Amino acid sequence: MIEAHGLGKTFGSVRALDSVSLSARRGTVLALLGHNGAGKTTLVSILSAALAPSEGRASIAGYDVTREARQVRQRIGLTGQFASVDGQLSGRDNLLLLARLLGAGRRAALARADELLELFGLTELADRRARTYSGGLRRRLDLAASLVGRPEVIFLDEPTTGLDPASRLNLWEIVEGLVAEGTTVLLTTQYLEEADRLADSITVLSAGSVIASGTAADLKARVGRRTVTIDLDPADDRDTALDALRRAGLTPVTGREDGAVVLPADGSREIAAVVRALDQVGIEAAELIYGEPSLDDVYLTLSGHPAGSSLLLPEGATP
Amino acid sequence: MTTSLAAPRATATTLTWQGSSALTQVRVLTWRCVRALLTDPAVLLFGLLQPVITLFVLTQVFSKMGPPPHFPPGIKYLDFVLPAVLVDNAVQSAVQSGIGLVEDLKNGLVSRLRSMPVAPGSLLVARSLATLVRSAIQAGIILLLGTTVLGYAPHGGVTAIAESVALTLFISWSLAWVFIAAAAWLRRAEPIQNLAVIAVLPMMFASSAYIPVADLPDWLAAVSRLNPLTYAIDSTRALALGLPGSTAALPALLLGAGVAAVGATLAATGFRRPLGQG
Repeated sequence: MIEAHGLGKTFGSVRALDSVSLSARRGTVLALLGHNGAGKTTLVSILSAALAPSEGRASIAGYDVTREARQVRQRIGLTGQFASVDGQLSGRDNLLLLARLLGAGRRAALARADELLELFGLTELADRRARTYSGGLRRRLDLAASLVGRPEVIFLDEPTTGLDPASRLNLWEIVEGLVAEGTTVLLTTQYLEEADRLADSITVLSAGSVIASGTAADLKARVGRRTVTIDLDPADDRDTALDALRRAGLTPVTGREDGAVVLPADGSREIAAVVRALDQVGIEAAELIYGEPSLDDVYLTLSGHPAGSSLLLPEGATP
Repeated sequence: MTTSLAAPRATATTLTWQGSSALTQVRVLTWRCVRALLTDPAVLLFGLLQPVITLFVLTQVFSKMGPPPHFPPGIKYLDFVLPAVLVDNAVQSAVQSGIGLVEDLKNGLVSRLRSMPVAPGSLLVARSLATLVRSAIQAGIILLLGTTVLGYAPHGGVTAIAESVALTLFISWSLAWVFIAAAAWLRRAEPIQNLAVIAVLPMMFASSAYIPVADLPDWLAAVSRLNPLTYAIDSTRALALGLPGSTAALPALLLGAGVAAVGATLAATGFRRPLGQG
């Protein structure tokens, strides 16, 4: 349903995307995971036929995004990073406007608007101006707006950024409902948790390149279900610590902050190995944090570099 | 991996709607802007503030001072100045079309339209037409105040007023393209507002708007003769006062058409550029 091969985009002297390939089958969720500036929005713009790629090709539902842009636009829905609703108009009028632009007659537009308002629990607020809505409500209206034309593919560009946990959960449930009905979803996110919950497959972008892709389970197998972050005293030598950990059969990488070391660790055995290895070389950790891997950790373990630090990625990191 | 490429269109479901014509797009989008205007009277009110205040202050001041030497004889100052105030109003409305487009760019409407089968020009045309409507509503209110409160009654009569107002609206529409082009390129409200301050105040004073060009100091008169607003105002005024012949509207029409053509071209090229990257 979504296919991309060797997509690249250059803005002036900035290389925003570099040979990105991905694919998603009908009725599945593909998550694009990456930090700000990783190229997620550029990629979404190209796939939604809003921006021409510098090279490569992509298709949505079999239609080429550059040569058959109109057919693509008739089949997609887009929810951007900022809820794009017209605050001056009521919730219903926002939906009516889009339905009319898509070619619906007055009656059909009204029917579709009411249907979506109902589905998103906005019926009671339908006649209030959208600018009086809370952030969560606006995001819901925005998502409803992207569904007006019953799209086959929807793009959700960081749909839950800035939402409170309850609104986030609510939005996740809505997305799951859409997918169950056969909609294909491309979701960009900075949250590993979100990708994990919703996505059938995950593509990790860093500095415009794909550094990993696979199912959530694949990625976790590579990153480790949990990670240990070790903060060293400034007095201790980080290289000594890294060496000791490697000798113990672990795979540490240098963390984002000075003196930090991060490594995947799935259980107490690894933690014990960490403590032993450090003890042997006489290093005492200032702090030792054991927890869910963050997006930073994913980057670190997959690329061996802190996020955005380098375009040069190890060969093995690219699938 | 490539299943959907191999059998592309077999999987596509039927479309709910086939897309709308450019005419429908412009109509729907224009109605959206006009509606926002009608449901928010404060916007209209603030838009009217400057022209109405100008009208009242100038007529009061000049009725005390008496006419300058080159003032056309036998004409009330109110009848002289009201067409210029309508042009002032037209410029103010035109500025709003630019501000409106910046809002559309900011609130995400533009990015949404780009992901839909909607022609990019539709929104631009809609913004220019909404300005026309706004200008017309405000002109109607100013005329109502002018005739009922101040006693506006130019020699040309009702037909002449109608012609003059129609020309003023055309000027408003063509000027809208200047600010739409500015918005399409700059994409921020502040520089447009600054442009508006420069465009509106000095350009109105350095023109034939408030006193005849011949009564301006020499250097200001020279500037006025270069100021396109002078020709726009001369035309609408000549029509309202029923001054010379049928060619009075010609300079303003030509100027307006030229400005609209250049503005629309610039707007279309500026608008096509990619939106900000995230």
